Amino acid sequence: MEKIKQNAIVKKIGFNRLVLICVWILLYILFAVLTPIMRPNNSFVSYARIISIMRYACFMGFLSLGVTFVIATGGIDFSIGPVMFCAALISGYQLTSRDWPLALCLVLCILVGTIFGIINGLLVTYGGLPSFITSMASMMIAKGVGSVFTKTQSVSWPQSTAENGWYRNLLSVQAGGIEIPVGLLILFAGAAVCAVILNKTMAGRYILCIGSNREAVRLSGVNTKKWETLAYIICGTLAGVAAIFYVAKNTIVQPGLGDTFNNDAIAGCVMGGTSMTGGVASIGGTLIGVLIIALLQEGILAMGYQSHYQYIITGIIVLVVVYADLRSRRRRN
Amino acid sequence: MGDVILTMKGIDKSFPGVHALDHVDLEVRKGEVHALMGENGAGKSTLMKVLTGIYHKDSGTITYEGKEVEFSNPREAQDAGIVIVHQELNMMGHLTVAQNIFIGREYMKGKLIDDKRMNEEARKLFDQLGIDIDPTETMSRLTVGKQQMCEIAKAISHEAKVIIFDEPSAALTEAEIEELFKIIRDLRAKQMGIVYISHRMDEIKVITDRVTVMRDGGYVGTLITKDCTKDDIINMMVGRVIYEDPKTESAVSPDAPVVLKVEHLNAGRMVKDVSFELRKGEILGFSGLMGAGRTETARALFGADPKQSGDIYVNGKKVDIKSPQDAVKCGIGYLSEDRKRFGIVVDKTVAENSTMASLEYYMKGLFINKKKENEAAQKYVDLLKTKTPGVDQLVVNLSGGNQQKVVIAKWLIRNCDILIFDEPTRGIDVGAKSEIYQLMSELAAEGKSIIMISSEMTEILRMSDRIVVMCEGRKTGELSIEEATQERIMHAATLRE
Repeated sequence: MEKIKQNAIVKKIGFNRLVLICVWILLYILFAVLTPIMRPNNSFVSYARIISIMRYACFMGFLSLGVTFVIATGGIDFSIGPVMFCAALISGYQLTSRDWPLALCLVLCILVGTIFGIINGLLVTYGGLPSFITSMASMMIAKGVGSVFTKTQSVSWPQSTAENGWYRNLLSVQAGGIEIPVGLLILFAGAAVCAVILNKTMAGRYILCIGSNREAVRLSGVNTKKWETLAYIICGTLAGVAAIFYVAKNTIVQPGLGDTFNNDAIAGCVMGGTSMTGGVASIGGTLIGVLIIALLQEGILAMGYQSHYQYIITGIIVLVVVYADLRSRRRRN
Repeated sequence: MGDVILTMKGIDKSFPGVHALDHVDLEVRKGEVHALMGENGAGKSTLMKVLTGIYHKDSGTITYEGKEVEFSNPREAQDAGIVIVHQELNMMGHLTVAQNIFIGREYMKGKLIDDKRMNEEARKLFDQLGIDIDPTETMSRLTVGKQQMCEIAKAISHEAKVIIFDEPSAALTEAEIEELFKIIRDLRAKQMGIVYISHRMDEIKVITDRVTVMRDGGYVGTLITKDCTKDDIINMMVGRVIYEDPKTESAVSPDAPVVLKVEHLNAGRMVKDVSFELRKGEILGFSGLMGAGRTETARALFGADPKQSGDIYVNGKKVDIKSPQDAVKCGIGYLSEDRKRFGIVVDKTVAENSTMASLEYYMKGLFINKKKENEAAQKYVDLLKTKTPGVDQLVVNLSGGNQQKVVIAKWLIRNCDILIFDEPTRGIDVGAKSEIYQLMSELAAEGKSIIMISSEMTEILRMSDRIVVMCEGRKTGELSIEEATQERIMHAATLRE
């Protein structure tokens, strides 16, 4: 075991992430075997299924990447799902009912997320409110604002073939009969940028250090409030980006929903090795965590169960991962 | 004074690396108030913890009411009638007075808590003590003094025969102390044995019958209070032995420029009208007993805690320090007494901790220049002789002394000219200690100015060019190293208003 951990390639990727990749592969094999048994005439191994997993993973991925920054500071953001919906509703309403140009609506979509991020961040850092409560409150506000803005009507973003439908190409493009997962590439690029921010910039350095020991960082003369607020802003902005990929997948957005996605996003993040107590975060881990959740979602549907089973499994996985994280921390201390 | 109720004889206790108690004796009689005195770290609290079963003694005997006893936990001691009234109050602020007093042994009416009965019982207790407190009042609404009275009432409700007061007067006003003494005298008249731990010399003379002095974990002697003077006690506390040679003369000329001037600093309850000057190249020692307000002064000066009033001048220019950020900009660095909480980020690397305060020097555009950062960290690892396998080692894996060096490196890399070292050698082994002493001397010789807060008298006398002494939030003395002696410092440190 120790030998494997010391291997150069393993070290580069990270042992935990490698385990997660193995988990993903094992789960895939499991679903490939079980699906035909549970539902004869159905198969799990197909390109269409992979694309379906990817479509779910795209918006979940951006949510999860964003919340990774907040969790790295030792905080939490429960508002991301409803913020994503709120952004999709407001910008979609402007697009369909007020005939704003699509490009402007996409910018607006991201901006709505950013604004929620700024508000959350300021309340937590300068206002001194607990992030748990703040994000609970802004979750409700986001739900309400989205509903009120669209007069409680759902919003239908245009179909691919319709005018203004090109935004769906951000998720996938049909080329010569094959669907190319553009969204996945954008997600990977986004993750790469996030990884650089987290590991190579001043912001990332201080965000992680704040998560480990906020007071020691503050007493080093660092403006901890500024950097911590930035984490929430990144989180909100990425929720806005996630909204674009959500509508590209589903086109229809219902008001008053979105909170279920919080759980999946946070679960993906925690599964990937980001510590709920802050200080330790892995962008690569988050990415794989999200892919596992997307695979679970698809696999359970393929086997003919409702997605509620996915919640049970995800819940159990999160408990196991967090428990293991706590154990290893306790051992170190 | 009545019969002996409690005898501790030859109590010995070691912790890894520390001989905390070295054959200590203590005898308490019924109807006496027995003072237990000694400097910080003399072993008073450890002795009381051994008595009440928090620690287990290595050797020695405890005889209580004629029988040899050994309590395995405070609960057993309490049941036998030995209780401690702690310095920090262990009260739950949101509960009522009566609920606090009977916590853990509530009166029940069937399955429900009988609050009425508890209020009645609490009232009886207060009447007995002659205290006027409403048992139904919420605890947090009482003054600290009244809370202390509740703690005493709680102790007595355990049918105590021996009560230990651990610095009970530290947070009390003059009037409250009077009330406390009245209660203590009542308890004495009821033939209880009372151990009274305090640093306040005047109180000892007023309230106690005998005094036992401890020094460096050892037993020095027991005196009848009315037969001895304040100086006798101080001499016993300080002792004649000085382990390390004290500095004999200041290394700084009296006309060296003043780099830091603090005027009439007030902050919270613990910093009252503190003024002092720090000269270039000087090591200014801050001495005083625990809770004298030295750390609070440093934190207020550094902007870590808010201050109410006071002016700070750096190099003759008035500065407005509202946060540690401002302080660092003025070239002030602060090495906290609590390294783990305020000094290092344990699960980050040596390099990351070293550049914590000066990351902007190691940027290449938007990105951290890891190579330059590592070089800087490595330079200070070599310079300070920090023992670490490499700069990418997590700080949590380093020993206390080496962690301290990493924190020092953090401020040196930032190039701070004014350094506040708060208990720089606490929890550090002897070897690392002398290295840190040497480092401080070198820094001062290079022209850095250092404020060194220390509770170790020998450390103060060995390192300081000048000594400020504080007591209860006030500056009660300022001594040049030439005139400073342990006795003089101790005098100033116990100089109450």
